[in-house]
Amino acid sequence: MEQAVTSAMTTSNTHLRDDSYLDDIVSRLVQFSVFWAIVGMGAGVYIAAQLVWPALNFDTAWLSFGRLRPLHTNGVIFGFGVTALMATAFYTVQRTCHVKLFAPRLAWIVAYGWQLLIVLGGLSLLAGWTSSKEYAELEWPFDIAITLLWVGFGIVFFGTIAKRKIKPIYISNWFYGGLIIVIAMLHIFNNLAIPVTLDKSYSLYAGAQDAVVQWWYGHNAVGFLLTGGFLGMLYYFLPKQAERPIWSYRLSIISFWAFTYLYIWAGPHHLHYNAIPEWVQSLGMVMSVILLAPSWATMINGVMTVSGAWQKLKTDPAMKFTVLALAFYGLATFEGSMMAVRSVNVVSHFTDWTVGHVHSGALGWNAMITYGAFYFLVPRLVNRPLYSTRLANAHFWLALAGTMLYIMAMWAAGVSQGLLWLSMDEIGELQYGFVDIMASMTSYYGLRFIAGFIFLVGAVMMAYNFYMTMRSTEAVRVRPPQVDPAYQA
Amino acid sequence: MTSPISFRSLLSPTATFKALAEATPNPMRVLFSYAIWLLLLPPAFAWLGAYAFGWRLGAENPLLLSPATLTLISIGYFALLVFGFVTTAIISRWMASTYGASDSLGLHFALIAVVGTPLAVASVAHLFPHVFFNVLVLIPTMIWSMYLLYKGLPIALRIPPERGMLMASSLVGWLLVAAVSLLGITVALWASGIGPSLGV
Repeated sequence: MEQAVTSAMTTSNTHLRDDSYLDDIVSRLVQFSVFWAIVGMGAGVYIAAQLVWPALNFDTAWLSFGRLRPLHTNGVIFGFGVTALMATAFYTVQRTCHVKLFAPRLAWIVAYGWQLLIVLGGLSLLAGWTSSKEYAELEWPFDIAITLLWVGFGIVFFGTIAKRKIKPIYISNWFYGGLIIVIAMLHIFNNLAIPVTLDKSYSLYAGAQDAVVQWWYGHNAVGFLLTGGFLGMLYYFLPKQAERPIWSYRLSIISFWAFTYLYIWAGPHHLHYNAIPEWVQSLGMVMSVILLAPSWATMINGVMTVSGAWQKLKTDPAMKFTVLALAFYGLATFEGSMMAVRSVNVVSHFTDWTVGHVHSGALGWNAMITYGAFYFLVPRLVNRPLYSTRLANAHFWLALAGTMLYIMAMWAAGVSQGLLWLSMDEIGELQYGFVDIMASMTSYYGLRFIAGFIFLVGAVMMAYNFYMTMRSTEAVRVRPPQVDPAYQA
Repeated sequence: MTSPISFRSLLSPTATFKALAEATPNPMRVLFSYAIWLLLLPPAFAWLGAYAFGWRLGAENPLLLSPATLTLISIGYFALLVFGFVTTAIISRWMASTYGASDSLGLHFALIAVVGTPLAVASVAHLFPHVFFNVLVLIPTMIWSMYLLYKGLPIALRIPPERGMLMASSLVGWLLVAAVSLLGITVALWASGIGPSLGV
């Protein structure tokens, strides 16, 4: 890894001094992101198989579900997702500010440091190190490293904005900026802990407070990272793909502030009927429902932007992914608000419906929008046409089929589970045992395994397509264009 | 001219879509002479299956409900399907102006009816109300219906396929939301005491 850093820094040294955009780093981050997509999704498919054939853990601790599941979630969220966000944030902030990235060496340290963190963090999860907080499982040494790298990410990003040559700050940068600031705040406060040994620490919070802080973190990681960060991606790449401006720029600003204000309150809906005050649950529920307004305002803005650019679909496979991502974004945000309502949550909570909901967002929205951005980016980074449009189109249909199958299997499994867990007999006793219900879910888990496998095959095809497009080339040098005097900073 | 839509659309959907493109059907006629009968099938099959066998959710004993409760659920199911059908057609017409498609309401009613026909017919699976069996039958049918929507929409509404792809995706977005709403409404009704006896 160290050698790779040195080599990358040497090759880019010549470019560090000129004023062309720093795109080598974007190119490298895209490659890493695709790599983590395959590793993370591969782990997901493997544990999906374990739920059908439990013997696949081979009685080996590090192959067990409990260790591989956080590897899957961390791999796809922090490996695939955050690396993609870094790649696209670095690419777009340069284009929208008309300047080269601020502090290029620091940017390289952040880019490679993050990959090192994912590798070592992943190994620590396999070794059984865990804080036991969902989506924040990494232990304290990694938490400190994440903080430092994240601050570095912020310095590069906001430094670029500070030296911009265009006065207005484009909407995608507001979302990326929100992502950097809010995730720093959430990560630091949720991971405050007393270290005991290198691999173990205890949270500063206890009991219900711990739960509230954890879901304040957990839900806003969904909000500001998986939603806000990827909206930054959408707001740059969608108008670029459509070759037309955002349908309503004013609506995008309004929805940004409404989104930022509302999301931060929504966490307690993860704790309905738990040992936290009822008014906190109600507040979380109400805010989650209101949140639908800015979410759908964004979706409508996207749909209307793309609606006049239909001719582009003839030639551009990237746009199909973006269009579908918007449909799934609409679904996932609606479903989330609905599941936050207590009378729905009482049945859906702790069932596979939640898992299905998460994946309608993760596969249908996060992965699709990233694929759309990458299919747009890769040919432009190397100034070559995509190796195979046919392969990209096949990937689109596999991704759609995998997502639909996944969601529907989990809807059916989840609603059945919710019903069975709560069913009472004539004397008011629970009618079915937990183990019996779980055993009856095997068929659905089989479908889920097939769905995940189909989605993974699509990702492997994309990786091959990108490899063939990018092999033995470097990112082309692009210099910032002249700034329109009306917009000069 | 005879109605351009019928159960024949199951066997020759492309011909039906082409015939639709040449027609301007009356929305009420589509609704009452075809769609409403189609929409009666799922609740009727569901009632019969649940009465005869009980819903099998995977647990050992089937879930048996009284005929009165079953009737109430089936009426609710039918009302929701009619509501979903009519709103989908109206939303499709509302979207039409954005995508430069025909704004004949009857055409949108007919399009949604043709796309929904396989699903209504496949609801015969409700006669054997085993959830996983129904999932196995209905998921491929749903994928087939989605294919019909993407393929048939540009033909029937006379727009280029690329524009049709965008409009179909917008409709899929709406339909997914409608589907998940149906789930949400159902479990909220259960939680308020309508349906199975739950400990909530």
